[in-house]
Amino acid sequence: MTASEPKPIFTARGLTKRFRGLTALSAVSFTQNEGEILGLIGPNGAGKTTLVSLISGTLSPTEGEIEFEGQRIDGLKSYRRAHLGIGRTFQVMKPFPGLSVLENVAIGALFGTGRGERSRVRARERARACLDFTGLNHRADQRADALGGPDRKRLELAKALAMQPKFLLLDEVMAGLNPVEVEEVIALIMKIRANGVSILVIEHVMKAIRRLSDRLFVLHHGEKIAEGKPDEVLNDPRVVEAYLGRRRR
Amino acid sequence: MKIRIIFIVVVVLALLAGVPWYGSASIVQFGIDALLTATLAQGWNLIGGYAGYPSFGNSVFYGLGTYGTAIAMAQFGLPFWAGLVVGGILAVLCALLLGIPILRLRGPYFAIATLGLAAAMGAVIANLGIAGRNNGLILPLFRGDALFYELALGLLALTTLMIYLVSESRFGAGLIAIRENEDAAAVMGVNTTLYKVMALALSGFVSALAGGIHAYWITFIDPGSAFDATLNVKMVIMAVFGGPGTVLGPIIGAFLLSAISEVLAAKISTVAGLFFGGVIVLAVVFMPKGLIDVGYGVRRLGLSYFVQNIRQNRL
Ligand SMILES: Nc1ncnc2c1ncn2[C@@H]1O[C@H](COP(=O)(O)OP(=O)(O)O)[C@@H](O)[C@H]1O
Ligand SMILES: [Mg+2]
Repeated sequence: MTASEPKPIFTARGLTKRFRGLTALSAVSFTQNEGEILGLIGPNGAGKTTLVSLISGTLSPTEGEIEFEGQRIDGLKSYRRAHLGIGRTFQVMKPFPGLSVLENVAIGALFGTGRGERSRVRARERARACLDFTGLNHRADQRADALGGPDRKRLELAKALAMQPKFLLLDEVMAGLNPVEVEEVIALIMKIRANGVSILVIEHVMKAIRRLSDRLFVLHHGEKIAEGKPDEVLNDPRVVEAYLGRRRR
Repeated sequence: MKIRIIFIVVVVLALLAGVPWYGSASIVQFGIDALLTATLAQGWNLIGGYAGYPSFGNSVFYGLGTYGTAIAMAQFGLPFWAGLVVGGILAVLCALLLGIPILRLRGPYFAIATLGLAAAMGAVIANLGIAGRNNGLILPLFRGDALFYELALGLLALTTLMIYLVSESRFGAGLIAIRENEDAAAVMGVNTTLYKVMALALSGFVSALAGGIHAYWITFIDPGSAFDATLNVKMVIMAVFGGPGTVLGPIIGAFLLSAISEVLAAKISTVAGLFFGGVIVLAVVFMPKGLIDVGYGVRRLGLSYFVQNIRQNRL
């Protein structure tokens, strides 16, 4: 198969999410292609995390529908979506605080895509491999709540990876990292994609998003205001204004 | 290592099983009570310790086991084992029906809802003709403390074996993930609703069996004793004191606290309650993860283990 013929793996149509009076997301449609890194940017409060939660099933939409691998999934609970191959990280990280780093990641391997490994021994092996991959091996036996900020980010990523997702949603995994660590995470994401995983990346680090994304779309006040090639989108007057207008306030 | 553990377990079980032969009558009676209470603490351990849902409604399952057995035997003349089955089924049905809505609540809301359940169920039973209303029921008399003792010991052993198997299983890992962070568990593929309901049902089942054995042993039951809210508090304290979410912690907690309260109640009954309460407050401050964690903690950190616990409590 050639890269010139993109095959959609995930489609959202008219997704709307209202929290009581507040419309966090308003009729958003987009398509994620197989093996693609799709970037998502937007000012704080634009609705990015809400969108991720609608895809992972953490929240249910007020309106709209979503499709994964040609199948409607908006009626499915989170765990079923995970079994189908959708994995996510949380911007507000959600480790299993009292468990060791290894056990945290092993949960992803024990459940996850295709309902995961049956045996806890093999789940632990897969978890070790994910710790290797994310550079967390030296922390394997520490409790998750003893980790520092950057390592917590890595753990969040490792937990999702252990699920062996087909579609991975990364919600600001670079936030709070220094430039060297950002480079490491960019390299990791590239490697994950090289394994055939489709990835939706939410980031505020513009340099990173420009380098990573095959395509990019922008949310502002819950609406999609631009979509296309990273360079074009980032120079779009409406996008510039959305960010600058925010900054002026 | 494994063989040594099995050896120790067999020896301890044999020693406990021999109590009716070498212990006094009052020791055997104390034993029955302690073993059944330990079973309740173990049952609570599954939903409260592993899944992290602090149920204050487990006395409902105990009460249903009590009444299921009593109604089957006193009203229908069924044998004891059939009574146990009836009680067990009632408890599991109750866990399935009420668990699904109540297990949607989290933390203190869940605890309060289950607490309400215990009070409500007692009131329902007190108005049922078949359950003897407020007067209660009298079961056929059967003298045989040794048999009840062995039954209680067998139930505790089987319950503990089940907890051990759960703790080693994928199911157990899912329960722990739910306890540690339910949202994360769900998006990682844990069927949280099913797992929680199953934990509550299993927990209810063993609690009901304990209730059934207790009913036949005591031969008289009424709503007040069968749906006693303090029983709930007792099992929670014992499991938490010993070590919630561990295989042996709740048993150790139950035996130790049963023994202490027995001794204290015999000597200085008025001060006993106060002392008991004080011990529990101190225990929660100095060893929030229970007695069983103290062993590991002190070996690893020395006395600073206690300092660390105090800090974690932000005192
Ligand atoms: N659970 C919730 N309840 C009420 N309002 C929410 C909730 N989650 C998000 N919001 C609101 O929805 C809007 C979008 O939030 P979010 O998706 O977190 O934005 P982003 O991730 O782009 O910063 C914000 O105004 C936020 O306050
Ligand atoms: Mg966000």
